[in-house]
Amino acid sequence: MSTENETMEEGTSLWKDAFRRLKKNKISMLGFYALAFLIIIAIITPLIAPYSYEAQDLNLGATPPSWKHWFGTDSFGRDLLTRVMYGARISLMVGFIATAVSLAIGVLWGTIAGFIGGKTDTIMMRIVDVLYSVPFILLVIVLMVVVDTKSPVTNLLLMFFAIGAVEWLTMARIVRGQVLNIRKQEFIEACFSMGISKKQIILRHLIPNVLGPIIVYSTLTVPSVMLLEAFLSFLGLGVQAPMSSWGLLINSGVEKMEEYPWLLIFPGLTFSLTLFSLNFLGDGLRDALDPKSSAD
Amino acid sequence: MSYLNIENLVTSFPVRGQGFFSKKIPDVKIINNVSLNIKKGEVLGLVGESGCGKSTLGRSLLRLVPVKSGKILFNNDDLMNKNYSELSKLRPQLQMIFQDPYASLDPRMTIYDTLAEPLLFHNIVPKSELDEEINRLMNLVGLAPRYIKKYPHEFSGGQRQRIAIARALALRPEFIIADEPVSALDVSIQSQIINLLLDLKKKLNLTILFISHDLSVVRFICDRIAVMYLGKIVEIAPSKELFENPIHPYTQALLSAIPLPDPRKEKNRERILLQGEPPSHLNPPSGCAFSPRCHKKKDASCGTRTPSLVQTSDTRWVSDCACCEQR
Amino acid sequence: MTNNNEILLQVDNLKTYFHTRTGCFRAVNGVSFHVRKGETLGIVGESGSGKSVSQYSLLKLIPQPPGKIESGTAFFDGTDLLSADEKTLRGIRGKRISMIFQDPMTCLNPYLKIGDQIIEPLLIHHNYNKEEARKKAIEALKQVGMTSPEKRMKGYPHELSGGMRQRVMIAMALITEPELLIADEPTTALDVTVQAQILDLIKKLQKEKNTAVIFITHDLGVIAGVADRVMVMYAGEIVEEGLTEEIFYSACHPYTRALLKSIPANAQVGDELFSIDGLPPNLSHKITGCSFNPRCTEKVNDDKNLDFPTLTEITKSHRVANCACALRNVSEIERNS
Repeated sequence: MSTENETMEEGTSLWKDAFRRLKKNKISMLGFYALAFLIIIAIITPLIAPYSYEAQDLNLGATPPSWKHWFGTDSFGRDLLTRVMYGARISLMVGFIATAVSLAIGVLWGTIAGFIGGKTDTIMMRIVDVLYSVPFILLVIVLMVVVDTKSPVTNLLLMFFAIGAVEWLTMARIVRGQVLNIRKQEFIEACFSMGISKKQIILRHLIPNVLGPIIVYSTLTVPSVMLLEAFLSFLGLGVQAPMSSWGLLINSGVEKMEEYPWLLIFPGLTFSLTLFSLNFLGDGLRDALDPKSSAD
Repeated sequence: MSYLNIENLVTSFPVRGQGFFSKKIPDVKIINNVSLNIKKGEVLGLVGESGCGKSTLGRSLLRLVPVKSGKILFNNDDLMNKNYSELSKLRPQLQMIFQDPYASLDPRMTIYDTLAEPLLFHNIVPKSELDEEINRLMNLVGLAPRYIKKYPHEFSGGQRQRIAIARALALRPEFIIADEPVSALDVSIQSQIINLLLDLKKKLNLTILFISHDLSVVRFICDRIAVMYLGKIVEIAPSKELFENPIHPYTQALLSAIPLPDPRKEKNRERILLQGEPPSHLNPPSGCAFSPRCHKKKDASCGTRTPSLVQTSDTRWVSDCACCEQR
Repeated sequence: MTNNNEILLQVDNLKTYFHTRTGCFRAVNGVSFHVRKGETLGIVGESGSGKSVSQYSLLKLIPQPPGKIESGTAFFDGTDLLSADEKTLRGIRGKRISMIFQDPMTCLNPYLKIGDQIIEPLLIHHNYNKEEARKKAIEALKQVGMTSPEKRMKGYPHELSGGMRQRVMIAMALITEPELLIADEPTTALDVTVQAQILDLIKKLQKEKNTAVIFITHDLGVIAGVADRVMVMYAGEIVEEGLTEEIFYSACHPYTRALLKSIPANAQVGDELFSIDGLPPNLSHKITGCSFNPRCTEKVNDDKNLDFPTLTEITKSHRVANCACALRNVSEIERNS
């Protein structure tokens, strides 16, 4: 009867098992390390950036890559490497924060709709359907007209709002589908039979079991958000000069593409690298978390 | 003395009909006016074929499915009058063991957490005694306590069922509904679990409603047996009496269909072979629901009059149809 | 009732292993048996015994990889099924050897009409044209007891109940008049009254067409009713084999005896039900000696270093693995008879 003498056998949770499978997937791990590298660089940018992102040297003008300027300079003589690094900060921040916001709203919405069901579910999902049909560009244009787009802070906030307003919809649908699935399982019924409160059922049982697909979808949302940001900045809503984001850099790079190709190549490559890493990681996560290939 | 009294229970669900434009059929009766008494300390078997509603009856008792009408009297307290939180307080006394050991445990929680959850939620023991209590439960169902940090997928079907039993017992219930607890297990494991249930029943003085389609298991473990057909109870009798003298034609056919592990008897027996297929709740036959397949069909009243369950002796209830005459 | 017909299928030393990341699972570890024309061989065992894998191996229906038929021969009318090429096998599968499975819903194509699925074997194997095949299919459905067969031909699997789907499966399997039918737990998923109907049907059709049947199940009651001979499997090996009456009334191997004792139908109400402690062995670990040893309640000496028990004959029809316990039981039965 005494357990002090027996050693407890540790279990292998499904998360541990999934993580082990993920580690075996070389491409996904490559994506993971590349992403980690970029994030670390972005975080310590103020400490290591060779120049200030707005320091101009008009005499210099646009120069191709050299030992002094690894990525070259733009027409204002600003160091491109520095601008790309600062751009990473903005783009990654927008990507992760906007995704987190859409995650929070989407999970809440989808869980409530899926768990309660019935009329509530119908109404909530019809709202999602209606919002889905609103053209994104229309929303952006309306925002640009209605709001003063001069102040950089309001611009940034509005961008978060616009992106968040779009991304949470699909998340809500995915979450609701998963919740409907899990809710039918017997272990949820067992919780009801034990009198566990609905709140505890949702937090302790429902959400951990729907987390898998949500995580995967989130890693695929981040690149989508970053592209949206680039698009918005291009339209004038969002990040404005002299701040840089990858979107802005690519935009101005496109303009001068023929004369100064490096202005497009470097931001473009970095952006693509990030997108690839996120996609590979997301792919690997989806395979690793797939319950069908789990230890059973 | 009655302990759990079910009176005129009706459970129905709205069902979408076939086809794209069909309307919802608002009221498909799965449990069709069932009354049943369960005595304290007994093991009552509930048998019937798939789709007859026996699992739904078990779930209706715990109000895990919406019950349309009727009374569920537990110690004279009508569970139908309780709201979610009042019911929640009563739940420790009525627990359920589910059929599928692979689906009834949360795959992302350790056994420790699965057992701790009900204990903590209902404050069965103070936090300081939690570990001790969980070890006690594990030992009660024959599992080594050193496995409590493991996850459900690391156990076999029989072990998972033991964990499910431990969880059901965590709240120290008096009444347990066992919904096909051994159907998904191998034969040699089945007997281990059956022995465990009988042992626990004696030790903890439990009352059990044992739902199953396997009549040989039911014969072994149950004191009384209720036979169900298409949402209605057609016969109730003590185990031995039912097997020796089944009165309702469906019970007779059911018993006749059980394969006996005795080649000489099995190959030479006279079998009652039912015609046709089990009916669907969507389209129940008129009158006696069993009449289309009944081998004894007496007269035209079988198709028009719906029989009811009546008590014919101290221990026997049978449908009052023409075919159920006492021998 | 001994059948003296000629042998239809002779399997010798079949070994099927599964090579996975976590080990090599010896699912079928040296199995030899035969089936005569017109007889029913019942194969009994629990999950992991190898009863299904052994039969699937005969028709090369196991996924290869990770499965591999390591060795063995299976002679069916002069052809070794295990070494035959795919073309030869295709001429046998579905035509001379048919199979029915446990879950008819997953074995019938949900997108095709019943009629199209039933006539398929005829179109492939017997070169019928569609009209003739249809007529034969309707006849086959009538034989398996389907009401309004013409209507059913135009319907889809999901419109049928479990029992009806199983009837369709049986019709499909027997429409080419095969010499051997392999039935893998065909009634396990059915209600007991429907099971009785289906078993009765299989018996009737078998008599009419003189088809040999290999009937795989874990239910000893079903075996008692349908089988002429029974083979008991445990951990990938045959532990005992004999006429049905020999197995049920004079079982020698401790596993067979334990299995018979642990059925609730054989138990006295009020006593404790006999149960076999422990779990079946892990098939990826090399087992020295008798594979049932850890769970055997009849063993006298705990000497695990015994040689592998091999099947020895007790009577012309009754074979048992010659472990010490089985041999002890054999002499006891001989003394008492």
